[in-house]
Amino acid sequence: MAMFKKIVKNFGPEWGAAVMGTAAICITMQLSSEIARPFSVLLYVGVGFYLLATAMFIVFLIPWSLRFFMYPDEIKKDLQNPIRGNFFPTMPICFVLAGTGTNKLGPILFGTWFAYHLSIVFFFLGVIGIFTFGFILVRTQFLNKEIRHKHANFSWFIPPVSHLIIPVLGACSMDVYWAGTSLAPTLFIISMIALGVGFFNFLFVGSAIWHRYIYADIPQGRLAPTTMVGIAPTAIIVIFLMKFIQAIEASQGNLFGINFMSIFPIVKIISFALWGFSLWWLVLVAVLFHAYIKMKDHPFVFGWWAYTFPFEAFVVATGLLAQCAATNFLQPVLITLNTLAVIIWIIVVYGTIRWLESGAFFEPQH
Amino acid sequence: MKARFFVVFLIIIIIPFIIGIPFFMVKKAAASRQIIHFANDTRESGDGKTYKGITINWTFCPDWKYKPLLFPAEEYLVFMFHYTNNSEYAVQVMPSYTLVSPPNRRYSANEEIAMYIEDELENKLKAEDQTPITFEIPPNATKHYIVAFEKPHLLNHFYVDVDVFRDVTLRLYYNKENEEWSNDSNELVRKYKGRG
Repeated sequence: MAMFKKIVKNFGPEWGAAVMGTAAICITMQLSSEIARPFSVLLYVGVGFYLLATAMFIVFLIPWSLRFFMYPDEIKKDLQNPIRGNFFPTMPICFVLAGTGTNKLGPILFGTWFAYHLSIVFFFLGVIGIFTFGFILVRTQFLNKEIRHKHANFSWFIPPVSHLIIPVLGACSMDVYWAGTSLAPTLFIISMIALGVGFFNFLFVGSAIWHRYIYADIPQGRLAPTTMVGIAPTAIIVIFLMKFIQAIEASQGNLFGINFMSIFPIVKIISFALWGFSLWWLVLVAVLFHAYIKMKDHPFVFGWWAYTFPFEAFVVATGLLAQCAATNFLQPVLITLNTLAVIIWIIVVYGTIRWLESGAFFEPQH
Repeated sequence: MKARFFVVFLIIIIIPFIIGIPFFMVKKAAASRQIIHFANDTRESGDGKTYKGITINWTFCPDWKYKPLLFPAEEYLVFMFHYTNNSEYAVQVMPSYTLVSPPNRRYSANEEIAMYIEDELENKLKAEDQTPITFEIPPNATKHYIVAFEKPHLLNHFYVDVDVFRDVTLRLYYNKENEEWSNDSNELVRKYKGRG
């Protein structure tokens, strides 16, 4: 019992990132499995990742939730922290990802009716958590007199990303099952609000971080993985746009008066441009990774999980874009990136096991 | 690092994949989880439709039973559409499909189910399903697309709209008589192109 309490006390908000990094692989696998017959088996590897992510989610959610009641002072301390605080939305994001995974792979396990209803439950739980933490974090940042330029880092992108991910599940749900039902307008309105909040916060927060990177030192090595988070916002917008266009198609080409044929060419152009930005950012991550390695300042910390989910979001964006543009070019890219995502995941899992074994879990760094 | 610590974690991580192996062996599982009926193939009956240089044929597999791993089997209405380009130029198509059942309830095609069953159908029909939502058909070539619809309960008749041309929709009518599905008629329905 004493050990369990110790675990709860030290169970930081960042653990949701591990679930996110595992859950998104089930989608990259599903997309890769569609490319050609030899890759079909990847669909079932994806189901394995889905089950693993679900198990992690349930196991992590218990101490994560208990901490709010058992150690509220630790929670307050973390919320005030300009790095750790931003990781709180990762657990609500897990609800949205669990919903997305259930929407895509749930029918294999539970059939369509149960899977689509379960994913809607996850959607609303995720929405409540994301908006709640979004407001808490922005309030904390605005009122915190201690925050300086040097605190800005790419983990600040997590709250905008959390809002951007809502419309992804919203659009997935509007596609097929809930299209044409009375729930569709509600999903649409919530998704659009979240898209607006996420997009503009991404621009505002991005400017603040950019400012720090130019006018102050770059963050210390243990924050280096957060650079990868910058790939996520545009990649997630691509995912949303692709899913939204499929939702319009599923609604007989007209959803809330938005005509499929009218917007599809524009969506393709915008999506490709946004995907291009994410690709550029990936190169930037490689450049900075090299710089940190050269400075011998890139220790393995739990924060390495920041290398997984944002990159996997980019892989998903690639896979969805391949379904409507430059297919012959993007499909091999998807397979390559999916392989790379698995390699990164294995490295991070191995590093995490070593990190846990070293006892670092009980010595949180603020 | 202590080897025992590492092994314990490795086992925890691998368990979901190991649990899945008996289920996830694609071909074996697919065979035991699916019951397939073939009703008609317009390539054999000659009932396909040609419009603007594209011939559309389809294979209909009604009451396709797909059993999820943990729940009872559900039935689907599955089509494989065959698009043949008879012109001398490549064409880019972006078909979309809607099933309409009484009383005017509309169902969209379920991409996920189509993905789970595609191997089985591709093997049976010796045709490869297209995965992009938009694809090119070279001159004198045929491309195939699998479409799965959730089957409404107590269904006796329905129609499917195949939206592939700008100005018309191909509508396929199906009726159930004596537990057998028959393709009563097919027509090209003009689309409304006004501003209202």
